Order: sequence, then C-alpha cells, then structure tokens
Amino acid sequence: MREDRVLDLRGIAKSFGSARILEGVELTVRRGERHAIIGPNGAGKSTLFNLISGQFSPTSGSILLNGREIAGRPPHQINRMGLSRSFQITNIYHRLSVFENLRLGVMARHGLRFSLFRRVAALRAVNEESEALLQRIRLEDRRDRPAGDLTYSEQRALEIGMTLATAPEVILLDEPTAGMSQEETHYVIELIREVTKGKTLLVVEHDMNVVFSLCDRISVLVYGELLATGTPEEIRANRAVQEAYLGEEVA
Amino acid sequence: MARVWQLLLFVLIMAVLIGLPPLLGAGLQNAMTNMLIAALFAMAFNLLMGQGGMLSFGHAAFYGVGAFAVMHLMTAIDRGGLSFPTPLLPLAGAAAGLLVGLVTGWFATLRSGVYFALVTLALAEMLHSLAPHWEGLFGGEAGISSMRMPWGGFIFGQVIEIYYLTLIWVTLSIGLLYAYTRTPFGRLTLALRDNEERVRFMGYDAHATKMIVFAVSATFAGIAGGLLAVSNEQANYELFGTHVSAQVVLHTFVGGSTVFFGPAIGAAIFTLFAYLVSDVSRSWLLYQGVIFVLVMLYAPLGIGGVVMLHLRHWASIPWQRMVGPYAGATAATLLMAIGTVMVVEFLEALFSPHYVAQRRQAETSWPAFERFGASWEPFGILTWGPPLLLLIVGLLILLRLRHRIVALWDEVQETAETAARSGA
Amino acid sequence: MLEFIIISTLNGVTYGLLLFMVSAGLTLIFGMMGVLNFAHASFYMLGAYIAYSITRTIDFWIGLLVAPLLVGLLGMLVERYLLRRVHRYGHAHELLLTFGLAFIFEELIKLFYGDFPVNYSMPAYLRFPAFSLFGADYPFYRLFIGLVAIGMFVLLYILLSRTRVGLVVRAAERLPSMAEALGHNVPLVFMGVFGVGAALAGLGGAVAGAFFPTNPNMALELGVIVFVVVVVGGLGSIEGSLVASLMIGVFSSFAVGLNWSLARLLDLVGLGDWARELGGLMTLTLSSISGTVPFLLMLIVLLVRPAGLFGERN
Repeated sequence: MREDRVLDLRGIAKSFGSARILEGVELTVRRGERHAIIGPNGAGKSTLFNLISGQFSPTSGSILLNGREIAGRPPHQINRMGLSRSFQITNIYHRLSVFENLRLGVMARHGLRFSLFRRVAALRAVNEESEALLQRIRLEDRRDRPAGDLTYSEQRALEIGMTLATAPEVILLDEPTAGMSQEETHYVIELIREVTKGKTLLVVEHDMNVVFSLCDRISVLVYGELLATGTPEEIRANRAVQEAYLGEEVA
Repeated sequence: MARVWQLLLFVLIMAVLIGLPPLLGAGLQNAMTNMLIAALFAMAFNLLMGQGGMLSFGHAAFYGVGAFAVMHLMTAIDRGGLSFPTPLLPLAGAAAGLLVGLVTGWFATLRSGVYFALVTLALAEMLHSLAPHWEGLFGGEAGISSMRMPWGGFIFGQVIEIYYLTLIWVTLSIGLLYAYTRTPFGRLTLALRDNEERVRFMGYDAHATKMIVFAVSATFAGIAGGLLAVSNEQANYELFGTHVSAQVVLHTFVGGSTVFFGPAIGAAIFTLFAYLVSDVSRSWLLYQGVIFVLVMLYAPLGIGGVVMLHLRHWASIPWQRMVGPYAGATAATLLMAIGTVMVVEFLEALFSPHYVAQRRQAETSWPAFERFGASWEPFGILTWGPPLLLLIVGLLILLRLRHRIVALWDEVQETAETAARSGA
Repeated sequence: MLEFIIISTLNGVTYGLLLFMVSAGLTLIFGMMGVLNFAHASFYMLGAYIAYSITRTIDFWIGLLVAPLLVGLLGMLVERYLLRRVHRYGHAHELLLTFGLAFIFEELIKLFYGDFPVNYSMPAYLRFPAFSLFGADYPFYRLFIGLVAIGMFVLLYILLSRTRVGLVVRAAERLPSMAEALGHNVPLVFMGVFGVGAALAGLGGAVAGAFFPTNPNMALELGVIVFVVVVVGGLGSIEGSLVASLMIGVFSSFAVGLNWSLARLLDLVGLGDWARELGGLMTLTLSSISGTVPFLLMLIVLLVRPAGLFGERN
C-alpha cells in the first residue's frame, strides 16, 4: 500500500503574513493516477502547486515524494527527484528555438548541468530524445522557430513538452487549457492523455468537462481546506461539494 | 552558402589584423593593440550581459584585478629570477579574474536586475576607493610598474611584438568564448537570460549557474586587463574607475549585445576612432556619448543587431526600392554629423582657455578663431550658417525618409510572418 | 575631542542634508517609475554650473532661483522625449539611456566650462561665521545649505501628504494602471515628478556649488554616494533616504578625522604589533578608507536586506 503513494501531503498550511491561504491539507496521490484539484478562484490551488514544486515552503506540514520529504527544498532539487511542473502563465524561453526549449530539459535529466567542455551538437542521446519529444508534442514543423513566435496553443503544448523533458515520474499541470477555445482544449487534452501514459498526473483545471473525462480522482479545495477527495462519481454525488462549489455549475 | 561567407569574412579580417600592422607606425600599432584588448573586454562583458542577461556596472573590477595580477607576476620575474614565459603572463590575469569572479560572483548573483547592477557597481567602487591607499597590493596612487623580460628569443621591446602577442591571446580567447556558446552550459546561459524561473524548475541550480557565468566572464575580463598590463608595463587604481566600466558598457551596446561579435565591433570602432580623432578634437567623448544615446533611442539592438536584421531578411527586402531611401538617409546622417561636429568644434574653440586669453589681448572684443585650418568670425553668418543649414536639411531629409523606410520594413516583416505561418 | 565631535557632527549633518536634497528626487523617481536614473547627479552638477553663470552675469539669488527651474524643465524634457521613447524596451534600457545622458552632460560641461573647477562662490555678505566654537569660526553658509534642505523637505512633505497632487502622485506610485483608470493623467504625473526630482538636485547643486568645488567631476563623485544613500535607505523610500543621507554624511565627516585601523583595534587584545607586521588591510586607517566604507555598507545592505532600511518592497 505504501508504494502506492507517490505524493503525500500531511497537514499542509501556508500563510502570507496574516493571510491564511491553506489550512490542514491532507492529500494522497497514487502512483499512475490522474488526479485533479478543483475549486473556486482563490481557493489556494496555485499556492498548493507552488508548495509542492518548491516555489515556496509551507508554513507547516510535510510533503513526501516517494517517502522523501521535499517541503522547503529548492525547485531544482525537487525536479531532480522526479517531479516536474508546468505553469498557468506560459513560462518558456521566448528567444530560444522550440527545439532548444525542450533540449534544455533533456540536458538537465542527463546531468549536463555544468558541462563546459562538450559540444552540445555532439550529444547524440540528448538530441535524439529531444527530437522524439518534439514529435510527441507535434511541433516538428516549428522546430527552429523562436518559441515566442508560436501561437498560444502551440506555446501551451510546448509548456507541457518542457515539463515532460526532464522525464519526471510525477507531473503537475497548472491549468493546461486556460484561455483556449473548445477545439484547442480538446487537442491539448488528447495530448496530455497521450504523453502522460504511465505517469502520475496532478492537474489544476477549471473546465469541469475536462476534469471529469480526464481524471481518475478529484480533490476539491475550498477556502484553503480540502473538502473532499474521490472518484468523479463520488465527487458528483457529494452534497458538501455540491453546496460549496459545484452547485451553481452542475446542478 | 552563409558559412562560406562567414569563413571568407573571418579570413579577411584575420588577414588585415595580421598583415596590416607592420605597415603602420608605432602609434597606430599601439592603438590596434588597445583595440584588440577593448574588443576582448567587451566580449567578456557581453558573455554576462548579452548571453546571461546580467548587466554589470563594475566590470572594471575584473579588468583591473587581471592587470594588477600580471604586474605582480612581472615584478616577481624581473626582481627575483622567477622563470616564467613572458607570453604566458596574461594567465595570471585569467587566474585572478576567475578567483575574484567566483567569490564576488557568488554574492552578486544573489540579486538580479537593478540590484545586481548596483552590487557590481559597489564592488568596483570599493576597489577604486581602496586601491590608492593600499600600498602593498596596488602600489598606492602611483600604481605598479615593471619591465617585460625577454623570453625564447623574443625581446618584447617593440610595439609590434606586443601587438602580435595580444592578437594571439585575443583570437584564442574569443575562439574559446565562441566555443562556449556551443556547449550545453552555453545554451543554459541563454536560457537563464530568457527565463531564470523556468531554469530552476527544470532541475538546474540557477544561482550556481549564474555564479559560473559570472566567473567565466570575469576570467576573460582578467585576461583583457592582463594584456593591457603586458602592453603598458604598469597598472594603477584608475583601472578600477567608473569610466572603465562605463566604456565597456558603451562599446557593447553600440556594437550590439544580442549579436556574438557585436561588442567587438563596437569596441573596435570606438577605440580606433578615439585614437584617430584625439589629435584633431577634444570632444571625442561627447560624440561617443551622443552616438550611444542615439543608438539607444533609434537602434536599440546596436550596429550588430541592425546588420543581423538585414541578413536575416536579406531575400525579402525590396532592395530596389530600399536603396534610394537608404542612400538618402546615409547622406542626411552624414550632413547632420558634419553639422554637429562643426557646431561642437566651434563652441569648443570659443570656450577654450586659449581663446579666452586671446580675447583678453585682442583689441577688438571678439577676434576670429582658428578651426579646421581656417579662420572664423565668432558671430559671422558664414560661421554658423553652414552647419545650421546642414543640420536642418539633414533633419528634414531624415524625417521624410523615415516613414518610407519604416513602411518598407513593415512589408518585409509581413512577408516574413506569412512565410512563417505557412510553415516554411 | 569635544570640539572634534561637535564640529564633525555639524559638518556631517549639513553634508547629509545636501545628500538628501539630491537623493530625494532619485529615490522618488525610482519608487514611481522603476527607473534608476544615472543622470540624476548630472542635474546636481548642471544646477551648480547654471547658477554659477547666472551669478557671474546677474545675481547670486536669481541664480539660486532660476537654476533649479531650468534644470527641472530639462528633467521634464528628458522624461517626455527620451525616457518615454525607450520605455517599451524595459528598465535596463531606460537605465542605459540615462547612463548615456550622464556621459553627455559631463562632456558638455567640459566643453563650455573646461576641465577645471570654476570659481563659483557665495556673495561676500554671506561669508560670515555663524558662531565661534573653541576659538574657531563656523561658517554660516554651511548652516544655510542645511536650512535650504530642511525647508525643501518640509515643502515636499506637505506637498505629498496634504495636497491632492500628492495624493495622485502616491496613487500613481503604488498602482499606476489603477490611477490611470481612475482618470488621472499618469504620464503627466511621471513627467512632473521627474521634473521636480531634477529641480531638487539642481537646487542642491546651486546651493552647494557655491561652497564645495564646482567641477566636471562633481556629478560622478556625488552620484556614486547618492546611489549608496538611496540603496541603504531603501530604493523608493523618502524617509529612508533622509536617514541614510544623515548617516553617510556624519560618518564621512567623522571618518576623515580618525586614524583608527584594524591594527589599533587589535592593540586592545595585544595583537597590534602582529597586525602591523602583516600590513596591508590591517594598517589602513579609517580616514584613508573613508571613501570605501559607504560602498561596503551599500554592498552589505544589498546582500542582506535589499529593500534597505526603510523600503517595503524588494
């Protein structure tokens, strides 16, 4: 049963000054599942992501990744331990080529962090892996364009690709479909489904159709507290959730 | 095709740099030595600024540290029979730059943006204010001077020998800096400039990365300073001065910080011009400042950036329609430049102590003054009319042509965008 | 010793108040526009030279009045026609532009007035001792510099805290887009603040130039110290820059008279001779490194508490 838990949040609280954003959050993410976090604006979803990925440290509580404490560690260490995140606001290297954006992630995974004496063009494994990733996110024909020149949905796809580039075991996606048309949303969701096969996915998402069709389990965060966790059916049937959050949209 | 051109250009430049100096006098040879040193210094600075995205206002610190390190080594050789090959003296500059760069870099890169710039400024100012009082290390106000020792059959007594030594070091260093851009770490440096946050979330230690970029930049700045010390056989606290840090910023941005060789171009142009006009005009620094501000206002990517823009869109530029406006704009710029120089030089002459003394002696209250090998009346219409006319005419032409050129470029951009959309 | 302390304190406070006159504008501009204005100390220098020219041709008091106005106008032009142009390229670019302007101003001053100090001094009737202390006269003009600075600070404070204009300025500083949405002309406010900041620096130059040397280096020399002040006080904080100005001012005037060194400090624990043998940093006296300490302080503040003593933001 223990091996089943990839990510374990225990009693997580976070305050900024006197403002309490999160309070007593307990959350378990199982290996291989696709887990959504939903909740109204300002519920603390992004803060939760920032705590897990190392952007901030929690005020109290512990976060275990495969049984190892990661709360308070810097982002680069957490990333190396196998957890990678995407950003709600596209966070790419605008002036570098699409290929380079991906290759930087692949390089990191190969431990080429202070490599001053090798030619990047001669790194066969790295380059091949980057090309393969480029194909998986279907941006081959944009390979050498500066990432800043891509369309919005292409940039979102690149954002996901960059998150995958370090070959993480756990993937955190922060509103991957924000600001997209229905068509684009559909495209990106298919992409996510495809590229996260066999990995653990934790996703913050506003689009309920996406959440209910994509994810195995759902957690509901309201005013900094975890209201419920369960399968889509359980969440749909949960009265507290309906009252607090879903009521307006689903009823 | 592009590669062939690049190679050709490289061969041509190297041929000039190797073949030309023996035909020149010692003064010009020395100027070219300084040009090479300034080029390397600017390239080192731009590794930090253009590639790493960190604007340093205190790069004189590493330049100066490199120079002093070489002077100490040179003194040790001169005095104490320490045997060390003279051509390798700049290694001391590199080592000192690396060491000081690592230590100060660790601190400086804790901050970013304006705060980073201020940390570097404070570092350099500390050295600048400390050095004149620290006799043992920096030789007090007078600084340190020494002599180059002959080595391996070379006397190193002539300027030309030092020039070639500098050329070898600078070529090698710039070659290494170029190779740096092709390493995984070089790519990471660019990523750091674009988006430091993402670098961290990709598993890189951003602070350690920045510190190393800083130290590499300081190392090459140290080599540049070391070469200066080899050439001058002396170093003093003024190497740490604000003006030294300022010059490298000016060179880099006029040359273009987004293009690899841009800073070298800026440094070469500015140092050569400074030498060429220093006999003729005292106002060179003013022109330099004006050029810098104009570049910042109208060509923020610098000379190199403008050249690159044209190369990138070469095929889609409507040259037939562009040649006219470009020629006109060049001519107008020239007119305005001549007008400006005339006005500045006239003012310089009128406000010089020399002229003030003349006025005191002369019977008429405003005697004529000498400039450009002619005599001018201080209030004559023939004095002020021509330059003002040049300025006005040039300005009018530029204002008219500007719209045409901008419109043509809009077309070019549009073609480029449609080409990109169709996936070409 | 008592004499040294009193005189040094007085000198330090007046010098600190002068520093404040220049740094107030710099920190205000940074707080509002995010622009670190490298040309700010140039406004100080221009104030001194313009006042000098007017004093020579017309009158000292008119110079004192007109120089700040002219410098303020120049500041507004710089903001409106130069800074605003490069705004879209980002703060680094704005900083570089002001850096280039500082360069140009210095060279222009050299062009018109030469490389050497000019003879700008106060009128003879202001050249009298304010009081005598321990048999030495204390010049009235030093106090005058301090008084002008205090008067200016009071005026600025009232303007910012008691008037509608001040309210808009403070709103524009905190939330420019909100202030704009509320119908205030934020670009105009920016231009105004830039102009006022420049005028203050110009006033500082016009007043101080008649006492301290007026030369083409004065912008650079004061400029770096003013950077120290605004950083230590906290970029954007007026109160901070007042405190930091006084701190640096008092420190500088005390330090030049003290020959303390690390070696003398080690004398207390009996290690003085060992330190003197070491030489180097150990035997440097405080007076000789009085120019270095402010930068060390600035460095420490930047690394430990970049928001400065009084700043709220990083």
